[in-house]
Amino acid sequence: MAAALPGLAAAMAAGGRRAVYPLFQLGGPQLRIFRPNFFMLAVRPGVPQPEDTVQFRVSMEMTKVDIKNYLEKIYNVPVAAVRTRIQYGANNKKNHKNQRVKKPDYKVAYVQLGKGQTFQFPNLFPEKEQDEEARSFDDFRKKYLEKEQQIQKGDPRRGGVPDWFGL
Amino acid sequence: MNSSPPGVHIIRKDAQITSELTRNLFHKNLAKVEPPHQLKFLHTTLSRSGLEEFFDDPKNWGEKTVKSGDAWNIKQLRGKSSEDLHKLWYVLLKEKNMLLTLEQESKRQQRPMPSPERLEKVQKSMKNIDLVVKERETALRLLQTGHEKPVPGEWRNDFLGRTYWYTYKEWPIPWYLNKKYKKRKFFYLPHVNHFIRLRLEKHLCVRARRQNLEKKRQKVLHMKFPHLAVKSQSQ
Repeated sequence: MAAALPGLAAAMAAGGRRAVYPLFQLGGPQLRIFRPNFFMLAVRPGVPQPEDTVQFRVSMEMTKVDIKNYLEKIYNVPVAAVRTRIQYGANNKKNHKNQRVKKPDYKVAYVQLGKGQTFQFPNLFPEKEQDEEARSFDDFRKKYLEKEQQIQKGDPRRGGVPDWFGL
Repeated sequence: MNSSPPGVHIIRKDAQITSELTRNLFHKNLAKVEPPHQLKFLHTTLSRSGLEEFFDDPKNWGEKTVKSGDAWNIKQLRGKSSEDLHKLWYVLLKEKNMLLTLEQESKRQQRPMPSPERLEKVQKSMKNIDLVVKERETALRLLQTGHEKPVPGEWRNDFLGRTYWYTYKEWPIPWYLNKKYKKRKFFYLPHVNHFIRLRLEKHLCVRARRQNLEKKRQKVLHMKFPHLAVKSQSQ
């Protein structure tokens, strides 16, 4: 496993600290990581993408070559091209103490599949048959919300005028 | 063991991981092997590719909760071979990616994510594997070289008088040509001794306060529950 080469043993990140990799100099060996801890998640594209393009959010430390190897080796997906960009997370929202709250930055990768494959992001929340309990609860909730909206609009018998006016 | 597909020796804990493992392996061998009838295949809009592994079993799409087993314990992992741990790591990594995809999609669709505790379980399992591998590496290194840590280092003082463990870093140039490194001070001047003394005093005060509090708490408990007091071992 990872203990095979003494130089690689230090690569593991301990308790969230930055991983230390052995120094690379010209002619040196290729760095190989035995148990990569990099995450990669598929996202639904905000802007419609061509059929062969898949959009991912990846770890900040991953490069295009890393992403290609990751998909080919771990997921067995043929990759033709990868393009990446870093999305800056805004820092202008404020919490209850009036301190600025930062949304985390993340790296987006646009992967074009090889061998003419296509990908369409699936619908992960299809409508399913609700059981009786869920249906009755939904009905109850709908009625309650309707009532609330009626109160907001005002009594139809008074012509929709709010309660504030008149008697 | 003979009934499982070749190359899989992991004793599966999680029902999902089981189906995922068998699903993964059979995807690769589809062209050659006639699949058994008990395996259910995914007929989805996705074209045949490994990208299906970023998503859960289509039966679970739209469910409110998804059943899953417990996280892997360190004691259980210590009994596994290194190969098994290696394979388990990748299974857990793919599971983590799938759960993160689901989390992001649920945020996008403004729906609750089904069973978010699965993420914590997977993260805990991966952390445990890391610990077990570290233990094994340390043991091997101690036997082979006599060093406990992978990277050598030493105790050094910084300019504020604090003592810390400095790990050596790999540089392409020697230290006397490294301008940034030469600017760092690994010693402190005599005027700092006063502040070291103050810092020590603060540390001792905090420790004494903590120990006093603990003693008071024990005394109160002893008064409230005398029948639960620990009897002394001496005769």
